[in-house]
Amino acid sequence: MPIYEIVFYTFSLVMLASAVAVISVRNPVYAALFLVLTFFSASAIWMLLEVEFLAIILILVYVGAVMVLFLFVVMMLDINVEPLREGFIRYLPVGLVVAGLMAAEFLLVIWTKSRFGPEAFPSPPPHPEGYSNTQAVGEVLYTNYLLPFEVAGIILLVAIIAAVTLTLRHRSGAHRQNPSRQVQVQRDERVRLVKMKPEPRQEG
Amino acid sequence: MTRMDFLLIAPELWVVTMTCVILFVDLFLKEERRAIVYLLAMVTLVFAAIITLRFDYGGDPTASAFAFNGSFVRDQMGDMLKLFSYFVLAMVFIYAKFFLRQSRMFRADFYTLSLEALLGIMLLISANNLVMVYLGLELLALASYTLVAYDRDSAKGSEAAMKYFVLGSMASGILLYGMSMIYGATGTLDLVAISEAVRVSGSDDIMLVFGLVFLVVGLAFKFGAVPFHMWVPDVYEGAPVSTTLFISSVPKMAAFAMAFRLLQTGLGDLQSDWMQMLSLLAVLSIVFGNLAAIAQTNIKRMLAYSTIGHMGFVLMGLLPGTAESYGAGMFYVIVYALMSAAAFGMVIMLSARGVEAENLDDFKGLNRRNSWYAAIMAMVMFSMAGVPVFVGFFAKWLVIQAALNAGLVWLAIIAVVFSVIGAFYYIRVVKLMYFDEPITEAPIDAPVDFRAAISLNGVIMLGLGIFSGSLIQICMSSFGA
Amino acid sequence: MLTLAHFLTLGALLFCLSAAGIFLNRKNVIILLMCIELMLLAVNMNFVAFSRFLGNLDGQVFVFFILTVAAAEAAIGLAILVVVFRNRQTINVAELDDLKG
Repeated sequence: MPIYEIVFYTFSLVMLASAVAVISVRNPVYAALFLVLTFFSASAIWMLLEVEFLAIILILVYVGAVMVLFLFVVMMLDINVEPLREGFIRYLPVGLVVAGLMAAEFLLVIWTKSRFGPEAFPSPPPHPEGYSNTQAVGEVLYTNYLLPFEVAGIILLVAIIAAVTLTLRHRSGAHRQNPSRQVQVQRDERVRLVKMKPEPRQEG
Repeated sequence: MTRMDFLLIAPELWVVTMTCVILFVDLFLKEERRAIVYLLAMVTLVFAAIITLRFDYGGDPTASAFAFNGSFVRDQMGDMLKLFSYFVLAMVFIYAKFFLRQSRMFRADFYTLSLEALLGIMLLISANNLVMVYLGLELLALASYTLVAYDRDSAKGSEAAMKYFVLGSMASGILLYGMSMIYGATGTLDLVAISEAVRVSGSDDIMLVFGLVFLVVGLAFKFGAVPFHMWVPDVYEGAPVSTTLFISSVPKMAAFAMAFRLLQTGLGDLQSDWMQMLSLLAVLSIVFGNLAAIAQTNIKRMLAYSTIGHMGFVLMGLLPGTAESYGAGMFYVIVYALMSAAAFGMVIMLSARGVEAENLDDFKGLNRRNSWYAAIMAMVMFSMAGVPVFVGFFAKWLVIQAALNAGLVWLAIIAVVFSVIGAFYYIRVVKLMYFDEPITEAPIDAPVDFRAAISLNGVIMLGLGIFSGSLIQICMSSFGA
Repeated sequence: MLTLAHFLTLGALLFCLSAAGIFLNRKNVIILLMCIELMLLAVNMNFVAFSRFLGNLDGQVFVFFILTVAAAEAAIGLAILVVVFRNRQTINVAELDDLKG
C-alpha cells in the first residue's frame, strides 16, 4: 500500500522542515506558527498509526491552547528581535556538528541493530471495525491510572496558583469591574425618574 | 479501588486536602491575621506525620504495600524519608516565616506552593511506575520554579527561575526519552514489571542500555551532579533565601528515593552499567564541588557548591548497589537535609531587615555578637566537613565503608582526600566567626520559635552524632542490611 | 513497508533538532520554550510508536500525561518569562548576566 508510505513521508518532511524553521526563523511569531505546523503534521502521523484520541488531543491542547498562549505572550511583550539573534551565526557551525553527530549516533543505534527491526516489532494489524481508540484509552486511564490522573489534576492546580502568584498585581488607581456589585445593583440606584413640566418646543 | 488503597495514600490525601483548605482560608484573611496560614501549614505537617506513623507493616522492615494497581508503594524507606521531609519542612517554615515577614513577602502562596512541592516529594518517594515518577517530579519541579521567582520584583530571582526552568524542563525531556526506550524494551511502565522483563530479556539489551544513558543524564541534572550542575549555584544565589533553604534540603531526599526506585527496583539487573556512569558523576561532583566551593565569597554560592559535593557522596552511596550502601546513602541524604536546613537557617538569622546576609564576611565575629549562635553554626560546619563526633562524620564514614566493602577502593580514596580538602572552606567559616572582628555590632534578634528551632537543629548535629546508632539501624534495616 | 524504526527515527531527529535549537537560541528565551515543546513532541512520538507496535495502551496513557504536564509547564514558563520581562524590559539572556553560567 504505497499511499500509506506517501502520506508518512509527506507529513514527516513537513514536520521536520517546520521544526527546523522553528529554531531558525527571526520572528518569534513565525516560530510559534511553524511550531503549530509541526504539531499538526505530528498529529497526522499519529492518525496514520491509528492513535486517534491523542492526535485530536494534540491539536486541541497544543494548537488550541498552548500555542495561543505563546502567541499571546509574544504579542503582549514588546520584544526587540534583533539582539536575540546575536550568536546564532557564531554558534551555528558548532551546533550543526554537535546535532549531526547526535543524530548519527541515534540513527546508528536505531538502524544497524536488528533490535528495532520488523522481526522484533512486526507491524501491528489494523484495528477491527468499530474499535474506538478513545474508549480503549479511557478504560485504561480511569482504572489502572486513576492515581496519576488525579495527580495530573493537582499539577494543573499548581500551574494556576503559580501563574497567579507570579503575574497578578493589584495596581492602585486602576479601574476594574466588580461583578458582584454589578449583579446586585437595584433599579433605584441607576434610574431616577424626574417629574418636570413639558417644555414648549423652541422655535428657530 | 479498595479501602486499603485509600488507607495507603492517606498522608498524601491529607496534605492535598489541607493545601486546598489553606488556599481557601487565605481568601478570607486580613493581612494582620496571615499567621493563621502558617499555623495551618504546621498543623498539616504534624498530622501528616501522625497519619504516616499509624501505618503498620507487621514487623518486617523490608515489606512493601502496593496501592492503585501497583502505581504507589509504601515501605519503610519511603515512610522514613517522608517523616524527615515533614520535619525538615517544618524547620523550613519556621525559618522562612522570619525572613518573609521582614522582607514583606509573607503571603499564603509560599505555604501552598511548598506544600504542593511536598506532595510531589511524597509521590516521588512512593512512585512505583514511570508515570508516577514523572508526575511527582514535575509537581515538585513546577512548584520549585515558582518559589525561585517568588520575589517578583527581584530581577536576579526571576532570571534564576528562568534558567532553572529551561534546564529543568530539558532534563525532564531527556529523562522521558530514556523512559520511552525502557518502555519500548520492556512493554510496561510498572517498575516491578520492568525488572521482571529485564530478567527475562537479559541485561545486554542495546535498547535498555540506550534508555539507561538518558535516564542517568536526566537524574544527574535533577541531583545537580557535575557536569550537569550549572543551574545549582545560580539558582541558590538568585532565589530568595527562604526558597534556597527549601530546595537545598527537602527535595534531595526525594531525589535519592527516585534514583533508588528507577535504578534498583526497575533496572537492578543493569547495575554494572549504571554503576560506571554513577561513579564518574560521583567522582566529578566530589572533586569539582569541593574545589569550587573554596573560591566562593558568597555563602549561598559556597553552600551550593558544597551541595554538589554532598550529592556526589549520595550518588556514591547508591552506586555499589548493596543493601548496606543504600542504607548509608539514605542516612547521608537525611543528615544532609538537616545540615542544609540549619546552615540556611543561620543565613536567615543574620539577614537583618530583609537584606540577605549573602557574604561570608557577614559571619565575621559572630562569636562576639552571640556566642550560642556561633556555636550552632560551628556545629553545622563541623558536621558538613565530616569532623568526628558530629553526625556528618558518621554519614561520610558509612558511605565510604560501603564503597570499600564493594571493592571500590579508588573511589573511597578520592572521597576521603577531597572531603579533607573540602573541610578547609567549612573551617574557614568557623575561623571568621571566632577570630575576626565583626563588621557590625548590631544584636541578633529573632522570634522565640526561630531560636528554639535553630537550637534544636544545631543540637541534632551533635546529638545525632553521638546517638546515631538507632537511625542508622532503621536506614540499614529498610534495605535488609 | 513502514517499521518501528521509521517512527523512532522521526522522534530521534526531532530530539536532535530541539537540542540544537536550545544550543543555538541560548539568548532567546521564548524560542527556548518552544524547543522544549519540540523535545516533548519527540518523546511523545517514541511513546506513541512503541505503544502501537507493542499493542499496549500504557504508552498512549503516558503521552496523555506528558501533554497535560507540558501545558502546565508552558503556562508557568511563560509566567516566569513575563516576570523577567517586567523586571528587565528584555528577554535577552545575554543581558541577564547578573548570574554567571
